[in-house]
Amino acid sequence: MKNIRAFLILVSLIIAFSSCTKTITPPLNNTPQLVIEGAVSDTTGPYHVNISKTADFYSDNVYPTVSGATVVITDMTANVTDVLTEASAGDYLTHTITGTPGHAYQLKVMLDGKTYTAMSTIPKPVSLDSVTVDFSVNNNFRPVANYQDPADQKNYYKYSMKRNGVHVHHFQTFDDRLSGGRYIRDKLDCDTGTFHHGDLVKVDLVGLDAGAFNFLKEAEAVAYDNANLAAPATPTSNITGGCIGYFSAQTVSSKTTVVK
Amino acid sequence: MLKINCLIILSALLLPGLSLAQQTKNHYSVSGTIKDKATGETLPGATVSFLQLSGVGVSANSYGFYSVSIPEGSYTLVATYTGYRTDTLHINLKGNLQHNINLEAASGQLKEVKISSSSSSRSGNVLTAPPGVQKLTVNDIKNVPVLLGEKDILKTIQLLPGIVAAGDGKAGFSVRGGDADQNLILLDEATVYNASHLLGFFSVFNSDAIKDIQIYKAGMPADYGGRLSSVEDIHMNDGNNQKFGANGGIGLIASRLTVEGPLFDHKGSFTVSGRRTYVDLFTGLASDTTIKKTKIYFYDINLKGNYQVDKNDRVFLSGYFGKDYLQLKQDNGIDYGNSTGTLRWNHIFNNSLFSNTSLIYNNFNYNTHFQSSTNNITVGSAITDYHLKQDFNYYLNSTNKLDIGLESIYHVTQPGAATTSQTSNYNSVVLQKKYSLESAVYVSHEWTATDKLKLTYGLRISDLAVLGPGNFYTYDPNGNTLSNTYYSGGKVVKSYINPEPRIALNYQLDDSSAVKLSYDRNVQNIHLLNNSSATSPTNVYLPSTNVVKPEIADQVSMGYYRTFHQNGIEFSSEIYYKSLQNQIDYKNGANLVGNENIEADLLFGTGRAYGWETYLKKKYGKLTGWVSYTLSKAERKIPGINNSTYYPSSQDQTHHLSIVGMYQASKKWTFSADFVYSTGTPVTYPNGKLSVDGSPVYAYGDRNSQRLSAYNRLDLGATLYVKKTRKIESSWNFSIYNVYGQSNPYTIIFQTDPNNMNKTQVQQTSLFKMVPSVTYNFKF
Repeated sequence: MKNIRAFLILVSLIIAFSSCTKTITPPLNNTPQLVIEGAVSDTTGPYHVNISKTADFYSDNVYPTVSGATVVITDMTANVTDVLTEASAGDYLTHTITGTPGHAYQLKVMLDGKTYTAMSTIPKPVSLDSVTVDFSVNNNFRPVANYQDPADQKNYYKYSMKRNGVHVHHFQTFDDRLSGGRYIRDKLDCDTGTFHHGDLVKVDLVGLDAGAFNFLKEAEAVAYDNANLAAPATPTSNITGGCIGYFSAQTVSSKTTVVK
Repeated sequence: MLKINCLIILSALLLPGLSLAQQTKNHYSVSGTIKDKATGETLPGATVSFLQLSGVGVSANSYGFYSVSIPEGSYTLVATYTGYRTDTLHINLKGNLQHNINLEAASGQLKEVKISSSSSSRSGNVLTAPPGVQKLTVNDIKNVPVLLGEKDILKTIQLLPGIVAAGDGKAGFSVRGGDADQNLILLDEATVYNASHLLGFFSVFNSDAIKDIQIYKAGMPADYGGRLSSVEDIHMNDGNNQKFGANGGIGLIASRLTVEGPLFDHKGSFTVSGRRTYVDLFTGLASDTTIKKTKIYFYDINLKGNYQVDKNDRVFLSGYFGKDYLQLKQDNGIDYGNSTGTLRWNHIFNNSLFSNTSLIYNNFNYNTHFQSSTNNITVGSAITDYHLKQDFNYYLNSTNKLDIGLESIYHVTQPGAATTSQTSNYNSVVLQKKYSLESAVYVSHEWTATDKLKLTYGLRISDLAVLGPGNFYTYDPNGNTLSNTYYSGGKVVKSYINPEPRIALNYQLDDSSAVKLSYDRNVQNIHLLNNSSATSPTNVYLPSTNVVKPEIADQVSMGYYRTFHQNGIEFSSEIYYKSLQNQIDYKNGANLVGNENIEADLLFGTGRAYGWETYLKKKYGKLTGWVSYTLSKAERKIPGINNSTYYPSSQDQTHHLSIVGMYQASKKWTFSADFVYSTGTPVTYPNGKLSVDGSPVYAYGDRNSQRLSAYNRLDLGATLYVKKTRKIESSWNFSIYNVYGQSNPYTIIFQTDPNNMNKTQVQQTSLFKMVPSVTYNFKF
């Protein structure tokens, strides 16, 4: 019996260890491209529009900022225009404009003689009921967002998280294409070991429109699942004019909990 | 009715060729079945020729039946088959003669039996085979080293020219630049939609149950159709009709057992083969919880029985059932499997007319399970075919053979159905089933025009009728629904009729060399949708619809063939050019799961593939094996991708080299080795990164503008025959896969560096670095 057991374990080991992982450095040429990321939400402003360039893959996650752009956001429904001010390099802030559900917003960026425009509408707000924590996997506690998806409309969501007030670098999208009207209990992905006992978790449920969602969904696939994409591609922007990025008019609903 | 009319028209078209076949002297036919003497297994492809008649030769059809008509007279009939002793018989032909031939398997190393024959066209060698065809028997592959000792006919063909594997641990293979779903894989005529076990590590074909495989890369005979790139026609063993026997093997990963024997007083026989892996039995013993909770197994069963009703009638019933089950960490699991059933009736009308009628059923389904405390979802998809096929082989005379037939397949596909628990995040959804009827009629004329020139030409007319019930949509270029029409059950929504001409020409330059030329058109109406590079079988089969048009391929192929040392060495060199229409690609972010409007997420374009293949094979002696080299290019052009210009398709491999050698050192030991090298396949890598919500997201350049590192691997094997008596035969097979531990890429991941959150890195995962294995095989 002992021999058989040893044999079986040996076989399992052969299979388990016959795969291996290593870091490689294939040549990746960087072609710097313009990136615009901007949002207007139903929470208090000011709202940010960030303009930058793509960075080389092997360099630090520091993106060259782009200054000197003229950035204008217009509430097309209320007919209010706000010209943004560059507060720090590449970071443009709104002054007066407020986000109202149902209102359509236009982003216009003028830079080096080119104009980039995008339209986005704030959807009906969906509120987060509560945040709970899933303990089913050791050392990978995951926050769970609980909320009711409204049955009468198409909904697009993004989740973002904070741990003890610090933004967690991991976003996730969800839509009700196959879930219309369901009560949603969505486990949020994060790197193993992000959350520990005693941590304060804040989850934002961000309601998006289709254009911003499509960009974020494709961005999520590219960021976290690129090995499984037969043909990975730059996420499709909802901004016209030839840049990467998105402009989102959105709702935000937040809840917190403590990891017990 | 339409089909019968078509047949008549086709026959009329072919008449000019037939009129050349006027008979002048009294001709009589010699016909029969060619079988293995010891087991009664039929020997498809075995050849019959006559010493006194140069240029006359006929090979047995897939049921071992041969027929040839020659002038009356006295002859020496010569029957040959690779791996068997050549049999000769003196006949005095004064009337039609029925003669069944039993050949004896040659034991020991293969030696060509030399016959002093004036016949330059002894069939069965590379010179007379149709262009683009290759045949392998299980005997040919038994010593080729393979992963974990599971000899695998579908893995071994990937060492032949023009056929390349998708990579370690990836399902499918590409023939002359085609997609994996463009190969028609038949098991006793039943379509096998997913030929892989364990995410592609093994094929579904248990070699103990298999007789042989015939591969067509070009010059497809008109009786095959439905896929663009190739046909892999796999025949199961019929079962020994002389005596009961069993054989099997015990390996590291799986065990096999086959039982066979005669039925009904040797008038019939049966064979049953089973195979199951047992990794899952060990993983439970592991201390690592991840391994412990992982459950992986597959099994397959092959069954076949046949019965010789009378002299002219024989029936066969064969079936295959296989299932894979993979569950990782109790949350997610996949199960999938094929089942096929074939009922066939061979009828010999007379000495020159052979008929086969087949009723075939096949099904492939997969289910994916997601489980958690609140969320239980099962997503499934399936394709089922009901298939009727009727073929006639009409042996007009020694130089003319006519194949006529028709077939009809009723496809029912379920592109996706999800059942969910009450507390799940998802609604249950059942996409409407898709129904279609794929029919074809064909005529093919094989004409030996002269001693040197053989011409096979034919026409296949295929039709796909898209049937109701269901809603059928049309879309604008942006994928927005333009219209939605409901068709009731049985209503024809759309019909695609396509003529598929096939022509193959074989010209013998001299006793040892030949040139061949072929042109063929193939049409494909079942499309596999999968925009994931993962080896998951979770993909959707979609028949042609009102939006998705049939894929079409036209191929021209040309080659030079030569034999050396009395057929002991074969050399071939072929070039081909293929042009493809209506190839399918996907829009960014296409949703293939649970999407009623899946067609709105598809893109359609064209493709082309061309290349040069060369092959040198040593067939006899202590050292046997082959060298195969392919230089090729496969490209696609899809509107909107890479500025709508041609770009390398994902299976493009510029160079592909394989070397296979087997050395019989003694009666006890046989050693073998194979080496594979190929250019890395094209991939799309990032050309920069940006920040989204504070996380790095990658920007990409042109599709498939980079390549993976080159693939290479050396495998070694050794077989030790322990006992070889008349009663029992047993052997040990040792092998090492990837001997020098080359890290061939399996997946490449672009991710945040876990040791420095402010950096990104590229991680390559490789499978199978030096996998040793041992298998014990027995036969009694």
